[in-house]
Amino acid sequence: MTQPVSNCPNCGAKIVFQWSSSVQTVCQYCKSILVRTDVDLKKVGQVADLPPDSSPIQLNTEGIYRNKSFVVIGRILYEYDEGGWNEWHITMNDGASAWLSDAQNEFAVSFASNTPGLPSATQINVGQQYTWNNQRYTLTVITPAHYRGVEGELPFEYWDKTEVTFADLRSETGRFATLDFSDEQPSLYLGEFVEFDDLKLKNLRSFEGW
Amino acid sequence: MSAGTPPLTNPPNPQAKALNCPQCGAAIILRAMGHAETVVCESCHSILDAKDPNLQILQKFEAIIGVDRPLIPLGSRGKLRGTDYEVIGFQRRGIVVEGISYYWHEYVLFNPYKATRYLTEYNGHWNDISVCKELPQTGFASANYLGEIYKHFQTAEANTNFVLGEFPWQVRVGEHATVTEYVKPPRVLSSEKTANEVTWSIGEYMYGADIWRSFSLPGAPPAAVGVYENQPSPVHENVKGIWAAFAAFAVLLLVLLAGFDLVSGKGTAFESSYRLDVGEPKGEASFVTQVFPLEGRTSNVEVTTTANVDNSWIYLNYALINNETEQAWDFGREVSYYHGYDSDGSWSEGSRNNTVIIPSVPAGNYYLRIEPEVDPKHPPILYTVQVKRNVPVMGFFGIAFLALLIPAIAITWRSLSFERMRWAESDHPPIKIGSSED
Amino acid sequence: MFRKLYLAYGMLILGGTGFAQYHGWSLDRISQLKNVPKSVRDNPGSYRSVYGFYHHYTGGK
Repeated sequence: MTQPVSNCPNCGAKIVFQWSSSVQTVCQYCKSILVRTDVDLKKVGQVADLPPDSSPIQLNTEGIYRNKSFVVIGRILYEYDEGGWNEWHITMNDGASAWLSDAQNEFAVSFASNTPGLPSATQINVGQQYTWNNQRYTLTVITPAHYRGVEGELPFEYWDKTEVTFADLRSETGRFATLDFSDEQPSLYLGEFVEFDDLKLKNLRSFEGW
Repeated sequence: MSAGTPPLTNPPNPQAKALNCPQCGAAIILRAMGHAETVVCESCHSILDAKDPNLQILQKFEAIIGVDRPLIPLGSRGKLRGTDYEVIGFQRRGIVVEGISYYWHEYVLFNPYKATRYLTEYNGHWNDISVCKELPQTGFASANYLGEIYKHFQTAEANTNFVLGEFPWQVRVGEHATVTEYVKPPRVLSSEKTANEVTWSIGEYMYGADIWRSFSLPGAPPAAVGVYENQPSPVHENVKGIWAAFAAFAVLLLVLLAGFDLVSGKGTAFESSYRLDVGEPKGEASFVTQVFPLEGRTSNVEVTTTANVDNSWIYLNYALINNETEQAWDFGREVSYYHGYDSDGSWSEGSRNNTVIIPSVPAGNYYLRIEPEVDPKHPPILYTVQVKRNVPVMGFFGIAFLALLIPAIAITWRSLSFERMRWAESDHPPIKIGSSED
Repeated sequence: MFRKLYLAYGMLILGGTGFAQYHGWSLDRISQLKNVPKSVRDNPGSYRSVYGFYHHYTGGK
């Protein structure tokens, strides 16, 4: 996915560039030297390329979390000034709604939580600690982000393009929490990090060459 | 789906043009790309116009990436811990410590079904790094992660000064973070802090040879220079083990000594006292003792001479002679003892007894032939000769003890030197012995 | 690896020490003579020592 693929302008065969900004490759069939003309050379060496959206999960992917099976029914793709991440909307087999977040293949499952007394967006700082459900969380990331796009079914109807603040929290036991300041009242999602293999995912997106 | 949402698009396809010879249209075979000033078509030998825009792209690109070529080329695939990864990004970062800049390199490893990993390289030392899911607990100059204590090694501001390829977030030259590292060899725990984010990662030391094997890279990896912060010590594991083994051997040595002492011939084989008067007219000074048996298997014989010398000496020329086999062991012993007072206090030199051990004496009936000699001006000396059979030779046991001790000391010394070299590079360098620190 | 080497080395040292002690070796170098006749018992002066010289300490500190 990260190796750009195109067609040879001479013979039409598939050509692959070794890496995201590589400008030179050779056509396997006609042996022409091929030069990429759409790479901004001013950025090479100065700014990294963003990986293309490469989440292995797609709509209708199925998996198992804590002995309950789930299916992926929706998606929000978030974007911030340095990159992006996915929030996959999943339904458990008991009807509960949850979120499977995928940030460069770091996965976490979390559920909306009705906890009162949450801080506002101006009150949060990296390093603060909060205790929810008898678990101590430390705030690790504050990200202003916005929607880049949506897919499938989501538990709300309206979405906004304006910038919204999100805060990630982690614990010493591998738990994960998100504070979402999209609405007037902040929302809290509590969950934990999961290993890809433990989710036993089926019906994944396929990647050529992997 | 809500109204007005943009469809999710794939990134645009790359645009590529072929580099063909403008004269004959043949595809150019480029060899020393970036080094050649002019490019010649192999088919028709015409020289390519240096202003050809495609050629310019290639040469400009070479100039940029020639600055710091990744040791693992971008696009390479390798297997780490059983999973295939592809190298998609590379950056060079640096810190400044006491006015000196240090640079290291980071590689981004990608697999569509696994979390991103990173490889770092500094002076030939490699590390396999991934993001922590559990938050470590920090203490004073230490951190606790998954039950293990890591010691603080260094805190510094790290700057990115070169970046190629893809990163999970859009790294830019000039990006900086406060990096704090804690080590428990072979692992390193590090935190990267910016205004809005703190990320913890755990790394494990890797050898260049293993990286080269994983990625099937040609040639040899760069040699590792110095000792890296989490480089596993080649001998540290052995230090405890070797002292435990030494202790066991020392006990066994003691048991061996006790064993030999137990079975040694108790009691003396022969003992007699004599008086040497010098004043007597010079006759034959030598004499022979009675015959006495030496029993058991072939073993040693200890002869102890004790004399009441006081600021004088006595010398005895001994021969232990086998009455049957006509074998003799010939040796001379001196007993001397001097003492007195001077400006430093009292002193003494020598001893009133002397012991010698004769090796490998077979069993049989023996006698001693003794020829004494003294300082002619001296009053009479009383001396005793004592013979013992099969005594433990303390010298052997002493040598054995030292022989067992030396490797343990050597290994401990090596381990300590290695650790000194490790911590010399840290925020907590060991104090130099014998020099003053500023 | 070091551990095994040291264990083998230690066994060698202990074995060597035991061997030396068992066979009655010593650290002192003693000269051996053969064919010392029985007549030495009657005439001790006739015994010829291999020692050609004495060395002894005659002074004080």
